[in-house]
Amino acid sequence: MPGRIRVKLLDWAPYIEPVDIARANARQREAMQVTPSSLGISLYVRTLAHDPESCLARTILFNAIMYAPGGLPRADRELGALGASVVNGCPYCTMVHARRLADLTGSDDAVTALWHDRPDRLSPRGQAIWSFARALSATPSAATPDHVRALRDAGLSGADIIDLIHAVAIFGWANRLMHPLGHVVPAARC
Amino acid sequence: MTDAIDAAVGLAEDAPLFAHRRARAAFVTGSEACRHAVLAPEDDHGLAPALRLALACRIATLNADTALATAYRTALAEADAGADLAALADGASALPAPLRAIARQADLVTTRNQTAARADIAALVKAGLSNPQIVALSELIAFVNYQCRVTAGLRLLKD
Repeated sequence: MPGRIRVKLLDWAPYIEPVDIARANARQREAMQVTPSSLGISLYVRTLAHDPESCLARTILFNAIMYAPGGLPRADRELGALGASVVNGCPYCTMVHARRLADLTGSDDAVTALWHDRPDRLSPRGQAIWSFARALSATPSAATPDHVRALRDAGLSGADIIDLIHAVAIFGWANRLMHPLGHVVPAARC
Repeated sequence: MTDAIDAAVGLAEDAPLFAHRRARAAFVTGSEACRHAVLAPEDDHGLAPALRLALACRIATLNADTALATAYRTALAEADAGADLAALADGASALPAPLRAIARQADLVTTRNQTAARADIAALVKAGLSNPQIVALSELIAFVNYQCRVTAGLRLLKD
């Protein structure tokens, strides 16, 4: 396919002043999971540490949904996350999760197809996941029993679909933090 | 024991999907912990639980999730919140400050997230919100959108 896409790195900067690690209180430090030697806590985490209760609870849920062993393969969860990030209009999340998808599959094929708006070039399984992720991300949701039938036809079990629903849903959350609260900036280093 | 998501999806404890949800116990307990953290936190930064319930009702309504909206409306009624918060829950835009700015941000991020910009955060600052309040508001708006997608997806697996 012409126009092969390789994902470039970008950074993110908040519109509000992030928490200063040196002046953070105990709950903020816990939410940032600060250890005495920790360096390089992201601006995203430092921004959300203004409300440590939600920051900590969301981080635990996010990690369970995206990294829990077994069930839906991680690449499929990332494809769901990418579909959500495109619909929800978060350029930073779109970049990060396109990159993760390429790394997990060892291929730029899916990202290249999607960049050129050619989801028909994905595998049947990829097409079913992409279509469902986009529909479920609409406000209100436009996901239908036909989407679920397509997922089952592509080989996803009920448990896999539960995993996919949560991966799409948690990006309905993350995209609504990262995009409203900040913006992409060129990466400081490669 | 059923939780808020089971109730909104219409799952009793003997429903197969109730058990299938529990195969991912961390998703169930994690969603409940998050619901508590955004709707009834220990430190609410001056954004009271009733205000949070009213916003959740408004956002669930924008997502056409009648069951979740009804649950939030019922909880709001029990909080005896007054006319302004009832109007906020009902989707009104003619609201006193700072509710007007808060409602505008909830509507924007729920329905047109891609158009949210620096000026929208500046509008919240101008309305008097502190940085912790801006973050807590953002987490609440985003959580209810998460919850609405979980319920919409699970309803498709119910039968």
